[in-house]
Amino acid sequence: MTSFFRIALIACLLVVTTPAMAHAPIAGIGGVLGGVLHALLIPEHALSLVALGLVVGRQDHAPRRWALLIFTVALIGGLVATALKIEAPMALDVLLLATGILGLLMAAAWAPPILAWLLSVLIGLAFALDSAPDATSPDELNRMLIGSGLAAAVTLVIVAESSALLRGNAPRLVMRVLGSWTAAIAILVLSLRVVTRFAIG
Amino acid sequence: MDLKASFRPTAIKAIRCMLPLAFAAMASPALAHSENGVAIDFMGGFTHPIFGPDHVIAMVAVGLWGAFLGAPAIWLLPVVFPLVMALAGAVGVAGVPLPGVEIGIAVSAIMLGLMVALAAKPPLWIAAVLVGAFAIFHGHAHGAELPVGADAVSFSMGFVIATGMLHLGGIAFGALSYWPSGRVAVQAAGGIIALIGVAYLVRSL
Repeated sequence: MTSFFRIALIACLLVVTTPAMAHAPIAGIGGVLGGVLHALLIPEHALSLVALGLVVGRQDHAPRRWALLIFTVALIGGLVATALKIEAPMALDVLLLATGILGLLMAAAWAPPILAWLLSVLIGLAFALDSAPDATSPDELNRMLIGSGLAAAVTLVIVAESSALLRGNAPRLVMRVLGSWTAAIAILVLSLRVVTRFAIG
Repeated sequence: MDLKASFRPTAIKAIRCMLPLAFAAMASPALAHSENGVAIDFMGGFTHPIFGPDHVIAMVAVGLWGAFLGAPAIWLLPVVFPLVMALAGAVGVAGVPLPGVEIGIAVSAIMLGLMVALAAKPPLWIAAVLVGAFAIFHGHAHGAELPVGADAVSFSMGFVIATGMLHLGGIAFGALSYWPSGRVAVQAAGGIIALIGVAYLVRSL
């Protein structure tokens, strides 16, 4: 076997391999960054954060700050529960339900502060409880949960504060349309999940 | 030393060895049980309503009629449609049968097309109820065809966004009605939609 052939064979084998990642949610990336991506790249999570941010952004200054605070507290509580391995198999369903309600509120252009706060609690808790990655060690799990929590909180603040800056008729109409789309997506996904669960048994 | 002569065998050797590497780099994994025919992702959802001409004409007609009626119908109808469609889609996903779905879809194209062609301006609530009623048939048909797959959110996102885009397309074309000649074009488009609807109705009977 010539040296060229040997090198080429090794190179070929290297090309066709895939990294051996033990239960990493996003192949090749773990730790805090893995948690950040885990929060942002899961469509259900991203959709719920954007929907909540848009509804919270419609609130006046004081209720908006309260909603962000309430969300953060609920999120931390949920992340601690997740770190303690408390399982919540219905967390994603609750998240989708809350997202659907947020979509309807956006479409109706009606969001009293009390509802925004209640949904902040629901989304914060459900988001955190559904964020358990298949980490290889407790340390890795904690790092990823911290990343997910940071990403969720920062994303919500950015969306809420950005949408608070949008005033006028056009943003309100866009919000109504986006709300109807959000609610429609949540309803369809929730129904698919329920039907799949019944089908599997 | 003849550099050219000594280089040739080395180059041939290199090419011979690198060729398998190139093929290996281009290869894709052979996956058993791949989802043949049904793409359960964003693009699959996005193309789902677009590749159904009967759905397309009805969605465009909703946008056309909304633009024709002006505010607030211009945004209310495209808001009502996806919401009712999703609820009916959930019923379809659950496997609850709805009789006459194809007929309902064809009738929706006829009615909505006629509304545009005749420049009908009923009260807002009647327009909303009519659009909502027709959304039931479209939603149920889509829901019954939805593949139960892993990436349901991406599929649904693509599906809903495509529906919204078709409405927006209708609204954009319907905006021509603000000019007298554009109004004729929009009404003609409504008539064409109604005629296509008749063809679908005849086929489904």
